[in-house]
Amino acid sequence: MQQLVDKVKEIIKNKEVDVVIGWGRGSLPFSATPIFVETEKDAEKLIFDETCRNNLTTYLTKDKRRISKEYKKIGIVVKGCDSRSVVLYTVENQIKRENVVLIGIPCNGVFEKKKLSQLVDGKEILDFQIDRENIILKGRNFEQTHPLKEVLCDSCLTCQYPDAPEHDYFIGTPRKEVNVPDAYKTINEFGKKSSEERWAYIQEEYSKCIRCYACRNVCPSCYCPECFVDQNDPQWIGKTPEVTDSIIFHLIRNLHIAGRCVDCGACVSACPVDLDLRIMSKKVEKEIKERFDYTAGIDIHEKPAMASYCEHEKQDFIMG
Amino acid sequence: MIKIKKTDLHNFIEFLIKDYNVYAPADVGKKIAFKKINSAFEIRHDITNTHLSPKNVFFPQSEVMFQYSDDGLKIPERNEKPIAVWGMRNCDTSSLIMLNKVFGDAHQMPDKNMYKDPYWKMKYDNCLIFGQACNEPLSTCFCNWFDGNPFAKKGADVFVVDTCDHFIFEGVSEKGKAFLLKYKFAEEATKTDLDKIAELKKTAESYLPEKLDVKPLYNKMSQIWDEPIWDEISAKCINCGACTFVCPTCHCFDVSDEGKGKKGKRIRLWDSCMFQIFTREASGHNPRELSTQRVRQRLMHKYNYFMDNYEQYLCTGCGRCVQVCPVNLDIREVIKQILDYKISRNEDN
Amino acid sequence: MCNFDNTYIPIQMKVKKILIENPDRSLRTYDLSFVNEDDKKRFNYLPGQFCEFSILGKGESPFGIASSPTEEEILKFTVSRTGSVTNEIHYLEEGDIVGIRGPMGNWYPIEKLKGQDVVIIGGGFAFTTLRSLIIYLLENRDDYGKITVIYGARNPDLFIYKDELKIWDKRDDLILHLTVDKHVKGWDKLCGFVPAITKDVKPDPTSWCIVCGPPVMIKFTLPVLLEMGFAHDKIYTSLERRMKCGIGKCGRCGIGSKYVCIDGPVFSYEELKNIPDAF
Repeated sequence: MQQLVDKVKEIIKNKEVDVVIGWGRGSLPFSATPIFVETEKDAEKLIFDETCRNNLTTYLTKDKRRISKEYKKIGIVVKGCDSRSVVLYTVENQIKRENVVLIGIPCNGVFEKKKLSQLVDGKEILDFQIDRENIILKGRNFEQTHPLKEVLCDSCLTCQYPDAPEHDYFIGTPRKEVNVPDAYKTINEFGKKSSEERWAYIQEEYSKCIRCYACRNVCPSCYCPECFVDQNDPQWIGKTPEVTDSIIFHLIRNLHIAGRCVDCGACVSACPVDLDLRIMSKKVEKEIKERFDYTAGIDIHEKPAMASYCEHEKQDFIMG
Repeated sequence: MIKIKKTDLHNFIEFLIKDYNVYAPADVGKKIAFKKINSAFEIRHDITNTHLSPKNVFFPQSEVMFQYSDDGLKIPERNEKPIAVWGMRNCDTSSLIMLNKVFGDAHQMPDKNMYKDPYWKMKYDNCLIFGQACNEPLSTCFCNWFDGNPFAKKGADVFVVDTCDHFIFEGVSEKGKAFLLKYKFAEEATKTDLDKIAELKKTAESYLPEKLDVKPLYNKMSQIWDEPIWDEISAKCINCGACTFVCPTCHCFDVSDEGKGKKGKRIRLWDSCMFQIFTREASGHNPRELSTQRVRQRLMHKYNYFMDNYEQYLCTGCGRCVQVCPVNLDIREVIKQILDYKISRNEDN
Repeated sequence: MCNFDNTYIPIQMKVKKILIENPDRSLRTYDLSFVNEDDKKRFNYLPGQFCEFSILGKGESPFGIASSPTEEEILKFTVSRTGSVTNEIHYLEEGDIVGIRGPMGNWYPIEKLKGQDVVIIGGGFAFTTLRSLIIYLLENRDDYGKITVIYGARNPDLFIYKDELKIWDKRDDLILHLTVDKHVKGWDKLCGFVPAITKDVKPDPTSWCIVCGPPVMIKFTLPVLLEMGFAHDKIYTSLERRMKCGIGKCGRCGIGSKYVCIDGPVFSYEELKNIPDAF
């Protein structure tokens, strides 16, 4: 990724930006870690590969002082989904587009730690190697090979926009828009089950939530200064990890990101108890697509689905 | 020391279940955590460290403190069997000692009784802890930085080593020794077993990271609390509570009433110093408004404040926070970063 | 303490009297009496301590005890309507039963103050424990030197204990300076923020000083006192924090290695000056 390093050095040198948020090598085999690059020297630490899972745009909103300094112009390295978050922020007036410099990179998908762990039955993977279409996983007493596709995030497998649709610079060769014929396969299959079966699955799954709010806090679309779960006057929902309350938390969060979720999969990766979070978010995404023909974060001039109205929209949900 | 064949473990566990509510590493959804088991077959032996810490056994994520209604308050009583925990590694048994200092001993307080936590005590006081040797520490483990060892027995009543075909038992506390005496179906461990244990210990230790001297951490942190290093450390933290919830030693809690009208319950539940609302007052004022302040609070509590109050660090090096952090904010690196930090302030000023 | 086996269980108290302190009715003072004789005997406190006020179904909030131990039979609390618990407290009527846990925390250094001149600086409705202290000092008047009180509020309506302020104002063994942020018609006392007034009043810097008020007042008053030359270990303040357990376990009121609920709420400036996020 020398090209990326060179580009970042250049825009720092030209004072185009005050800081560039990108990924550096993490401390675990499958983890990249967010880094804040302010000098040309630090730019050397930048990487991009299948471990660069985080959606770094989340640092642009909510608790802006987290970076402790107020930066005027921020550069940010973006995958397809990440760049869509910037579009979202722009149409929602959270940032001024001209204050952000986007360095797009073509993304081939990122690893899902949970899938890796399942493949080796919970054993610890100490190293890996990519060999064309395959990945070789190495641990203390094992070495096994799997098709790369098996270890990518679910959101990457149905990603149509791997190329950062919105960018100021682009590094590498674009992959172009990917045709995904069955983006909603999982949702459709789940939809075919009876309502009892679906409810049973949701209850079983969300009963494990520990309410650490990692999903919410990594989510680029979740930037409310005060989340409804944190309000105590009135207190909207119970604070215990009781399943009813956990489901309500996830349902409301999903409704709140309706037409705003860019399916970056950050929530799935962040969840310490491996909840199936996309079963809700993808369903909401599909509804928005079908009702309003809207995909979040694609068109920087289009008003968000939930903030605009048009006469021809289906209104069956009102009429019952 | 006694031993039983691995294939006979279910007999032992059945014997244990007669007198105790037994908790052990078992499947909880897609993760492994300590949960109450009904049979030895639920136990997961093939893991080194559970994904979630065992603190929930004695300090559940949510716990009823009392119920209220028109008839007054009802405090839950514990009429169940005492608790036994199977399969706790040294990092976890040590964590119980730390938590007991907070909830059980309250040794620093003038009026000791007043500050003991009845909910902790009713579970912890009669428990039986089976510590287990950690044959294969993970790459995220760093117990050796905090006086831990994969084969250390501290905090255990009975210490168990899995030697592949056998479990070797050693009574550590009086309580543990007494329990082992009651179990009649074991053989005596032999010299060969002891040799095997020594060998396993050596292998396990070889997996640990290089030992780091963390003693200077306390002083260093006292000196640097107002230095810019905290901005660097906290920059990428997204303030979720994952690290605090999986930590075996984090013990901050919230108290909340749930119910309708005059009937309901007062519960306590895990809370996290990472959350903004943790310290936000009704007036809106928040003494730890910034992410930096909250990250500093968590680290200072672990490696400085707890030392002031209880003469040890509040960390066992279990590595769970390293595994779950969504942004790979690795506490081992933070510790090194703090130790290496050159103080910029001129002490004379 | 409330319950020796289980500190989390509140004792019962009866609302004896409710006094609405200001025209917009947002500040109310509650006199509570003990329901059980045993609780009354056990409940020994000193000025500066606080209690957790418990409203079943809503939760608990900590309030400084506004009564002085020299006033027997009752506990006094002044509550401003800001959150869900305080809202519920405002719905209480005389005769209602409420829960109290306490007394918690430490107290103002009444022993050390003996024979000394004392400057008491308060702001807004955080004057509660200062009332307790003043009543206590006046009750034991001969033990203490000159007493100066500086009390500020946003406007005249927001002073609490107005009747008592009038009485104190007439006493010749207590100097009372009342100030409001901005002048309003009919106000014949001082105008200006507490830090500025403190500067004007020029209290003797060899005195002991007790400061209690909103965080912002404390933050700006301390430098004034330091500049005047008050000794670091003679300035005391009472900190306000979000609290839950009240017995040093739940962690939220931690400041440095101290807990406001058990090591405080009263701290000297000497103790606080090197603690992160203390102010």
